[in-house]
Amino acid sequence: MNKKKIFKLLLTVLLICCTLLTLYQRNSAIDTERILQQSVLKDKTFASHVQQIEADGITAYLLEEHSVPIIALNFTFERAGTAYEPENKQGLTLLLTEMLMNGAGDYDALQFKDISEEYGVRISFSADTDDFDGFLQMPTANVDMGIKLLTSTLYKPYFTYDYITLTQNKMQTALRNNHEHIGSVLADKFAEIMYAGHPYSRPAIGKTETIAGLTRSDLITYMHQHFTKQNLIIGIAGDITPSAAKLLIHNIFGRLPQQPQTERIAAVKLETTGAQHYIDFTAPQTMTRFAVKGTHRLSDDFYPLYLANYIFGGSGLGSKISKVIREENGLTYGIYTYLVAKDTLTLLVGGYSATPDNFRKAQEMLLHEWHKMGENGVTEQELQQAKEALIASHNLRFASTGGIAEMLTAMQKYKLGIDFLEKRNDYLREVTLEQVNAAARKYFGQIPDFVIVGKQKTKQEEKK
Amino acid sequence: MNKLFGYVLFFLSIAIAVDAKMFKADEFLLDNGLRVVVVENHKAPLIKQMLWYQVGAVDEFRGHGGSAHLLEHLLFRGTAKISGDEFNRIMEKNGAESNAFTSYEVTSYHQFADISRLEVLLALEADRMQNLKISADDFEAERKIVFEERKQVVENNPASPFYERLQQMLWGTSPYGRPITGLPEEILSLKFDDTLDFYRKYYVPNNAILVLSGDIDVATARPLVEKYYGKLKSNPLKRELPASVTEQFHQQLQMSLPHIATPRVTRMFMLPPRKELQDKIYAYDILSEFLGGGETAEMYRDLVLRKRIAVSVSTSYNYMTRSNTVFTLSLIPNTEKSFTPEYAITALNTSLIKARNALTEERLEQIKRKISANMVYLNDNPQTAASWIGYMLSMGFDLNEIQNYENKLNAVQLKDVHQAFDELLQASDIIGILLPSSDIRRDHDE
Repeated sequence: MNKKKIFKLLLTVLLICCTLLTLYQRNSAIDTERILQQSVLKDKTFASHVQQIEADGITAYLLEEHSVPIIALNFTFERAGTAYEPENKQGLTLLLTEMLMNGAGDYDALQFKDISEEYGVRISFSADTDDFDGFLQMPTANVDMGIKLLTSTLYKPYFTYDYITLTQNKMQTALRNNHEHIGSVLADKFAEIMYAGHPYSRPAIGKTETIAGLTRSDLITYMHQHFTKQNLIIGIAGDITPSAAKLLIHNIFGRLPQQPQTERIAAVKLETTGAQHYIDFTAPQTMTRFAVKGTHRLSDDFYPLYLANYIFGGSGLGSKISKVIREENGLTYGIYTYLVAKDTLTLLVGGYSATPDNFRKAQEMLLHEWHKMGENGVTEQELQQAKEALIASHNLRFASTGGIAEMLTAMQKYKLGIDFLEKRNDYLREVTLEQVNAAARKYFGQIPDFVIVGKQKTKQEEKK
Repeated sequence: MNKLFGYVLFFLSIAIAVDAKMFKADEFLLDNGLRVVVVENHKAPLIKQMLWYQVGAVDEFRGHGGSAHLLEHLLFRGTAKISGDEFNRIMEKNGAESNAFTSYEVTSYHQFADISRLEVLLALEADRMQNLKISADDFEAERKIVFEERKQVVENNPASPFYERLQQMLWGTSPYGRPITGLPEEILSLKFDDTLDFYRKYYVPNNAILVLSGDIDVATARPLVEKYYGKLKSNPLKRELPASVTEQFHQQLQMSLPHIATPRVTRMFMLPPRKELQDKIYAYDILSEFLGGGETAEMYRDLVLRKRIAVSVSTSYNYMTRSNTVFTLSLIPNTEKSFTPEYAITALNTSLIKARNALTEERLEQIKRKISANMVYLNDNPQTAASWIGYMLSMGFDLNEIQNYENKLNAVQLKDVHQAFDELLQASDIIGILLPSSDIRRDHDE
């Protein structure tokens, strides 16, 4: 064999090896589609059946699930949140959420808490700007005690002077502490600036002087005006039958007054123009929240905008802005957008924080992506992937009994229909690329207003 | 009447529960040393996968603070088979919630998804145990991200320097005294190769525990886990944990910081590790419940309700560690009343000592009833059991002991808690006081 032949042979062997290697590498990539197709678990299905029940003229949604001996009840009094407090009684709703746990019926505050814990009965109250929410959860065996405790606090709360004073002190401490952290300063300033002149602009916790002026009779009056059958929404989940659930509603809510004494507050007038509101604050990072107008839950724009937002900033690490600003450039630990639907205001909101050096760079990139979204929208591939992701994660909402009860309440509040859980994936599937891009033009075509807390670096300082 | 009825019900439930295990859980071991625990929960078609590597911030070389945490981030940056951002994209496409966390002793990677996606989760998690492939650019970008993470999560909180200093004083030169995130200058000086060495050494099947919790059983799980994790190579590893702290000390830290509006008072006690304390940890656990577990606890009654000195008092006992266990008392003073650090410390200590007399047989039984009544919630969301069991196994508890957790607590007697109490008062401790800057008095100004 001469040298040429050996060389040719070697070259051929090398070529074959290269081809084999390429083939091997291609085959060795993990094909997750094939794994899914062939998985022994692929046909696992699940049916969840929501029922509507009624007792004493009150309707509720129920989802029975008997494998874990827990019952959860979530309820909402609409139009009973912080925006409905009298102007000079700010903080009243928060005081009420605490005071409903401080003694009622046969039990003083200590007994009430001791017995709740001994029976594994979990009761809590909370409020947002629009609504007042209650939550009751207990082991099935202790359902009678759960009903007894919640009923007593709804009809015979103690509201003792001692506990009112103590809770006022706690609220004053929390109010002062709200000024410690850049995040809570931002939350307050955002509401104050964006909703100026509207009840939504008030801090949930109240003001020093309004907290100090709250009294027992304020609490009683507020409950009588707002805790009624007509503005009540109920979700029940877990180890309970329809007939037992009806009895539970009757026992707990049957004696409430019929009608609330409130009127819906006026809508917020919001027009964003690209304003940048700076609040000077010393912290390691600068933090912002930005917003434009959004859409309400039942509008035709909702699902298209929901998908557009998911792709832009709603999906976490995989979103457009997270990829560019976090993953590629390392400018922030997290950047995101989300939709807000309050009773009289809808928003498309976003936020992030970064060291002052990175803050402005991130903002420029964000606005660049924002305008691109408004002009070009998303691609068919991005849309398909978003739909797939949202459909695939559908069942995660059934993880906890309490979470299911909350979801049932939300379904009624937003009037999604009793068949929402069966239809939700179809609602997503039916959205077209044209609809999503029309929504992108309409909503991302607006220029967001920014509320920014931190140290502002001027362009000149950055150049140095 | 109702109360009596409740007690009868309660004893009935105990009688039924005596032999019942807390979880429907079982475990098996792969040939390569991977330990696998399966927890059944069939209420919905869901699965939580958690992979717990037995490595964390305490295993870092001195000066390399933050490398365990940075490595955790890098595991989302691609392997030889799943390039770049594919990992996140595949997880998202499959509707999985995917995340990870780093602590002093463990690094845990986890996903929550529909059960139909389990094989994809297994394939991807097994793949990144040994096939990590990232560029120097990825490393740099991720280093910037964890730097921003420390700024955002730790340093934006104006109280953080106080708590980091307390931790450092409590642990002295031990790695447990350093922040898990690393110091900012350490993060900036971490080297690509050092981080990869850390990966190669600790990311092996024989140094990990896999927990699958949800709509699955061992018979289904076993072949699937074998299929994806079975071929991973083991590598002998001898992990040397830092020595526990034995010296005696009683220290005090007073710090004034800008942006602090309300003072905080904290007392931390250094107790022996669990391997020395054994079942005594359950007595300390009950003691913590008794002193500061909520708004009916003894010190809350005394300092918040009776004396009105504080607006909040709480305690915690951390035994989720292989090193010294730590008992912490925390108090937020009621500044509507006049406040001095000396007064708050005296009040806290007096209240602690006085509480011993209130610890009766009756109160002990009540605490046990409370703990038992709330056990049912551990079996609600499958994610709860996965975290709880995974953490405890990682800290050296065996599955049998976890299953017996409730029984162990119920076996604690009054004399055990009294003894724990007396030993707590003898233990090394630090008292920390955080004050608003404007409260600095001249004699404390340094």
